[in-house]
Amino acid sequence: MRERNPRTGPRTTTILVSMVVGVVAIILCCCIVLFLDRYRSAMVQSARTSTAQAVSQVSSTVGDYLWDMDQAMELVEQSMWEEAQVRDELLSAFLKFRPDVVAVTSYSRQGELLDCWSPDREPKEEILQNLSFDLEKAQSSQSAYMTAPHVETIFEGYYPWVVTMTAPLAQDGEAAWVSLDLSFSSISSYINNVSIGQRGYCFLMDKEGNIVYHPQQQLLYAGLKSENTSALAALEDGDYADDTVIYCITSVAGSDWRIVGVSYVDELVNRNVHEMIRLSFLLAGILLAAALLTSWLLSRMLGRPLRGLASAMESFETDADHFTYRPVSGAREVRELSASFGHMVLRIQQLMTTVREEEINLRKTELKALQAQINPHFLYNTLDSIAWMCEQGRNADAVKMVHALARLFRISISRGHELIPIAKEIEHAESYLQIQKYRYKNQFTYSFDVEAECLDYYCNKITLQPIIENAINHGLDLLVEEGSIEVRVCQDGEDILFFVRDNGVGMTPEQIESIMQHGPKDRTGIGIKNVNDRLEIYFGKQYGLHITSEPDVGTCVEIRMPKIREGDYEGK
Amino acid sequence: MKGNRRAVLWVLAALVCLCACSADGTSSTRHAVALVAKSTETEFWLSVFAGARAAATEYNLDLSIMGPETEEDYETQNRMVSEAAQTGAEAIVFSAIDYENNATAIDDAARSGVKIVAIDSSVDSQAVSTYIGTDNYAAGQMAAQAALDRVDGPLRVGIVNYDISSANGQERERGALDVFEQSGRSQVTAVINTLAQADYARRDTAALLKEHPQINVLLAFNEPTSVGAAQAVEELGLSEDVFLVGFDSNVSTVDGLQEGSVDALVVQNPYAMGYLGVESAYKLLSGQGGDLKPTVDTSTQVVDRENLFTMDSQKALFAFEQHMD
Repeated sequence: MRERNPRTGPRTTTILVSMVVGVVAIILCCCIVLFLDRYRSAMVQSARTSTAQAVSQVSSTVGDYLWDMDQAMELVEQSMWEEAQVRDELLSAFLKFRPDVVAVTSYSRQGELLDCWSPDREPKEEILQNLSFDLEKAQSSQSAYMTAPHVETIFEGYYPWVVTMTAPLAQDGEAAWVSLDLSFSSISSYINNVSIGQRGYCFLMDKEGNIVYHPQQQLLYAGLKSENTSALAALEDGDYADDTVIYCITSVAGSDWRIVGVSYVDELVNRNVHEMIRLSFLLAGILLAAALLTSWLLSRMLGRPLRGLASAMESFETDADHFTYRPVSGAREVRELSASFGHMVLRIQQLMTTVREEEINLRKTELKALQAQINPHFLYNTLDSIAWMCEQGRNADAVKMVHALARLFRISISRGHELIPIAKEIEHAESYLQIQKYRYKNQFTYSFDVEAECLDYYCNKITLQPIIENAINHGLDLLVEEGSIEVRVCQDGEDILFFVRDNGVGMTPEQIESIMQHGPKDRTGIGIKNVNDRLEIYFGKQYGLHITSEPDVGTCVEIRMPKIREGDYEGK
Repeated sequence: MKGNRRAVLWVLAALVCLCACSADGTSSTRHAVALVAKSTETEFWLSVFAGARAAATEYNLDLSIMGPETEEDYETQNRMVSEAAQTGAEAIVFSAIDYENNATAIDDAARSGVKIVAIDSSVDSQAVSTYIGTDNYAAGQMAAQAALDRVDGPLRVGIVNYDISSANGQERERGALDVFEQSGRSQVTAVINTLAQADYARRDTAALLKEHPQINVLLAFNEPTSVGAAQAVEELGLSEDVFLVGFDSNVSTVDGLQEGSVDALVVQNPYAMGYLGVESAYKLLSGQGGDLKPTVDTSTQVVDRENLFTMDSQKALFAFEQHMD
């Protein structure tokens, strides 16, 4: 039998599926990484841009406000020229329509508070310390200037946080400086409303890094929050991004104030990036699932039917006779393959039947031809023996010989039947032995031991004769002392066993082999191989001949065939 | 065919996964936090509320603020605590009027699952997750030390304290008494407990000063008593003779500090108490409660006439945000 392909190692479809999935996964990962990297940098850029936009907007608004205040300051300066009464009216009108101005104060050259205008409030009699005005600072600066935020300290029971704008007065009047105390109501409305993302904000600081206004000023004052303003003050205008925060700094035109925009990378960038990562992986997951599904379907459409086909072929290979083919479904190619295989199976099975029939026919013809040509020497010798007996006047022996010869021929022919009753076969063998015994001048004896139950079963004709012939020619012929041939027929379960035992010279295993393979060299008679072949063809491999032999002891040929009754195998 | 049905199932499973993935991470409800204060009147508490509101805005919390009319009314506080717990507050930021008598209400609320944060003045309950406020004993010491540093010679001390059942006031008093005792030149002449309202404090302080004219140092341990004591000192014309150390920032005590009736103020950080209290409540509710320390000491500083207008004092004394309510 042919060597079977080893069924180790993974199936091709499995490899295919994992390859497809693997390649898809790798490509997807690369794409996602590349894409996210690009996306992140774009997001950072856009966050910087939006922060810068918000800050520049605030900057221009605060710039406008300061310009506005400069204008107001000019107005206040001009009012200082006027008569006291006109000045009071002017300033009270001014204070009414500028509610974010807490107080207007004027100071003498020595820094004493000269006058104060404030809606509904008068300054205290004794002012412990006036934080709005610092004489040294006023003297050292040539033009108008802004203070850092401080508490208004000139009123009783009223301490708002203000910044003070102080301007020198040009003319030589009593008052040398005039100050505006500005509350944060306007500035806070500009800055509080700015939102950059959800948590981003702007704050206002001066160029030294003092915070002027912060949306969470109270948190800063309560020590709960801090801004690293000293580091920020050292930076030029522009935007700066670190891992968590984006700072954007812009100077307010015409002042030393600067707007700082703070936005969080976390919410402006990372959140979007995380969202995108989630989306990408979701997409990748779906794609991967789709790839898996596709390859699974592919394997289903191709792999599985192919495997089915392969196993069908395998079982066909093991047992071609009893194989019934079932078509395999699947892709068109697989169906075509399956159909071709189906045709092939049918064709092979037909061919096998034909071959078997032809072989049987061949054997039959061969047998008939052999039966027709009974060894002529045997016939001449027998006839010579008969003639010799007649001359000697042994008529009774001659008659026996003639009868035996006639019986031999009659059974040999058997009206063309292949199977004959065992009784007939025994008769045939006995006739042959009788003739040979005469011919060999009683050099051997023979005996039959046949179970009576076996006689009615059938067997192939001329089964025993070739074996007996072989025993006489090769076993007993060379023997000096008297030989003996013993034929025994018995039952063995559902089988019949024939034994032909002689006490001749025996055979070596090589001789046995040669006899079983080639038949007799003289090409006369039917031959042992022929008997074996016929039994195998008729009844199967488990039936046939088995020779056991021992040199100088004898040979025993065992013939096994099933129990056959009349008509069982006539069809063949 | 069986295989087809399986394929359909696969596709369905994939779709379900997709829906599940896109559905999550959207809903987050606002946590409800209640702040139960001792009072809703004084500048101290208004500043606490401002801080609390700032934190509530920052952490997107639903904050409700309540407090009794007087700083002695612990029963109203207890009622407010249980009402807050019933109306769905998940955390209560609490300042106890009465260290012992508020405990049961707090325990009850905690038992129903409400997280408790104590600010300013704690309560006798195991349920308090964290206390945020002044180290009151140290604050009392600071007040006494401020007087010792600035007054020469023997000190005859009068103490104007508020409700005797308040943990804060008693701690401060203990700190002050300890420092005075150690100084060896001080004698505590009288301790009075008055109501935490300026009018009552003024009357009782005036009575105290009349009864014990030898008193040259006066300590008042919270904002209303300080205001009342300052008024009494001014009315009696004793600004020069009596060294008054008050607590907390109020416009009238700041005025008094400039005019002489008040000589030093121990200033707490109420804004930080409010802010940190609500922030802690948020942390407890959002599962970051492990970070919280059992006690958080908010800063305290002494302001006198000399350093009244330094930037640090300005920041501590004057609220930046104008709370008009």
